[in-house]
Amino acid sequence: MNSLSPEVALSRISPELRPLLCSVVRNGRIGLDSSSCLRITDLKSGCTSLMPGPCCDRFKLHIPYAGETLKWDIIFNAKEPELPPDFIFGEDADFLPEPSELPHLVSWDAGKPECLLQLVKELLQQYHQYQCQRLRDSSRLLFEYDSLLNDPNYGRSMEIYAGLKNSWTGEFSARFLLKLPVDFNNIPIYLLKDTALDPGEDVALLSVSFEDAEATQVFPKLYLSPSIEHALGGSSALHIPAFPSGGCLIDYVPQVCQLLTNKVQYVIQGYHKRREYIAAFLSHFGMGVVEYDAVGFTKLTLLLMWKDFCFLVHVDLPLYFPRDQPTLTFQSIYHFTSSGQLYSQVQKSYPYSPRWDGNEMAKRAKAYFKSFIPQFQEGAFANGKL
Amino acid sequence: MAASISGYTFSSVCYHSANSNSDHEGFLLGEVRQEETLSISDSHIGSAEFLSVIEVHNHEPCAQLFSFYDYAGNVNEENLNRILKDRRKNVIGWYRFRRNTQQQMSFREQVIHKQLTHILGIPDLVFLLFSFISTANSSTHALEYVLFRPNRKYNQRISLSIPNLGNTSQQEYKVSSVPNTSKNYASVIKEHGTEFFDKDGVMKDIRAIFQVYSALQERVQAVCCEVDQSERVREKIQEEVNKLKEEIALRKRNSAEEERRLQEAAAVTLPDNSALPDSKHSSLTQVVLSGPSVEPSVERPVNSSSPPIYSSTLPPDSPSAILLPRPQAVGSPGHPSPILGLGNGDGSSSDSLNRQATGQEDQEDDEDSSEYENLVSEQLQPPSLTETVTLGRPATLWPDGDAHSPPGS
Repeated sequence: MNSLSPEVALSRISPELRPLLCSVVRNGRIGLDSSSCLRITDLKSGCTSLMPGPCCDRFKLHIPYAGETLKWDIIFNAKEPELPPDFIFGEDADFLPEPSELPHLVSWDAGKPECLLQLVKELLQQYHQYQCQRLRDSSRLLFEYDSLLNDPNYGRSMEIYAGLKNSWTGEFSARFLLKLPVDFNNIPIYLLKDTALDPGEDVALLSVSFEDAEATQVFPKLYLSPSIEHALGGSSALHIPAFPSGGCLIDYVPQVCQLLTNKVQYVIQGYHKRREYIAAFLSHFGMGVVEYDAVGFTKLTLLLMWKDFCFLVHVDLPLYFPRDQPTLTFQSIYHFTSSGQLYSQVQKSYPYSPRWDGNEMAKRAKAYFKSFIPQFQEGAFANGKL
Repeated sequence: MAASISGYTFSSVCYHSANSNSDHEGFLLGEVRQEETLSISDSHIGSAEFLSVIEVHNHEPCAQLFSFYDYAGNVNEENLNRILKDRRKNVIGWYRFRRNTQQQMSFREQVIHKQLTHILGIPDLVFLLFSFISTANSSTHALEYVLFRPNRKYNQRISLSIPNLGNTSQQEYKVSSVPNTSKNYASVIKEHGTEFFDKDGVMKDIRAIFQVYSALQERVQAVCCEVDQSERVREKIQEEVNKLKEEIALRKRNSAEEERRLQEAAAVTLPDNSALPDSKHSSLTQVVLSGPSVEPSVERPVNSSSPPIYSSTLPPDSPSAILLPRPQAVGSPGHPSPILGLGNGDGSSSDSLNRQATGQEDQEDDEDSSEYENLVSEQLQPPSLTETVTLGRPATLWPDGDAHSPPGS
């Protein structure tokens, strides 16, 4: 079923119900995974087919939850728009929330546009309770849940989906979706700006699937919001250690959390270190600086002269600088290669230590240049054409 | 469990539902019957199957949504009573109609159902869900209906049958046990019913037929008795006939022997023939006495020679009748046909009798029955009958001769 774009959905729905649906469609982000918003499909009408105009009043709402998508039918009556809606909870035939725990249903006010969204949120909370109840079928998983619940870091932002027992094998499966409390605030802005889409909230979610009740088959997966993923270096940032057999979530999750935090720290540190590096080079080489990346501090180009021999040095600073060594590219301004490029030589290994500070690095770099340049010059004369 | 709904109730619910511009709901009224089927087969003694049958007789539509419950789904008993009034005890379930939705109970429906079960005190309350599906271009519309038993864990859906909705050319028109609650119908029947029904409520025609039937039964019983009696009489007569036949045969043998001896004696002593008639007399008299009418060939010479034997019974003015039996009188009332007939009837007659009777058996059969009746209706005692048989011709029984014709002929 193709989901309808918000505009199409809004145009087809009965005018009195439009504000309610509007808030769901435009602002509707519920649950941990708020990067994918609520979708609307199967917009139908409860009026007779003789009714003209937009009169749709019932639809299916797709809600992402714990890695699954819940498909709930919401039923209004276009001719009586002040009445609260009715729900069919898809395949979860056993899920029956207590109406008294749904304040937005008991005191439904069709005049408030966000009433439906709030009601859906309350229903989802009830659904979460229902799923946690289902964990009671497996003591092992219940233990996992309880231990996480007691931890203030994870207990409050957890979604559980306890899958149906496989009637053939009697297997029970569950999925935990946890929001990792990692602070992404200090990530340099430039790293986050490159994504084309609206990045939304920066979030890291850890999904752990238990394929059996005894936790022998556990599959963890890390989900990062696109900007964070990009900021941390692409899909390589999603590599996390395997779930240790016999281990439990209360040990594993902090481990993953730490790993992620470390990565973020590296990135932040790297940025600062790069800034420091470039600042030091600027002060050391002064007028020799041609250009440098003033936003991300990833590149620096110097124009230096040694014994009347002028050359360019391009410095590329990697993401995980200072752990990773900057790449130096020497380029002659006189000589061309056969392909028409300026003759250049790349140097990746040279005396370097990540423990040096920016100044030290600049000084050592200078010393290295002095020692390397004669070699380079000879190479340029030998291999390049003027 | 089975469920059925009468055609007119179903169409009424559909009518109310289809004409509403939003969802529609109401209550189902009817009754639940328990049927027990006892099946006996050779393999086991018998098994009883219990079937619960739900019958929907009527429905009570609600004028609007949320008429007896609030936003949270709490049922208001006062409103419920106002809608149901005095039909509350007939409620067996409720129904809802909604367009373009799944055939599954919704959240609010489940909440309300639980409360209704509790308030109405019906443990097996049913829920009928109608859903109306239309295609996008409104070319095809489908009305789907499912009957739920939500209070059970398993087998929650029951099939609902509508009697006589189908191909009735191959099935009979089924009459359901749904009582007719229409007041108009009841008043018309009351008014005109006396033409067809008597005071007990039974159709008059049926009573009349019963009366005819019982009258016929009585007659049949009476005829049975008559047949029984006549059969006994016939048996007795048959016995006597057999006895007489035996005597005749004996006498014949004796007379033949006597004749032979006489002839031998005559051959020996010719002039002495005065003794013959006497001896003949005596022997023949004996013969005549026992069964003169049975043996006409023997009787002739006897009759001619011994008129005084019949003098007591024979009328003097018809000696010819006495002396010679009329051959054509077989089958007529004047002929000793009863005896002949009797003889023929039980198949124990002698050859001579058969020869006499040939060609006239059909007539005799008819005569038999008529003679039987005559005999019975005149209530002749068997001894007197025997007497008349032995002593006289039937011609003597009816002096009129031809004038008297047996009723049967």
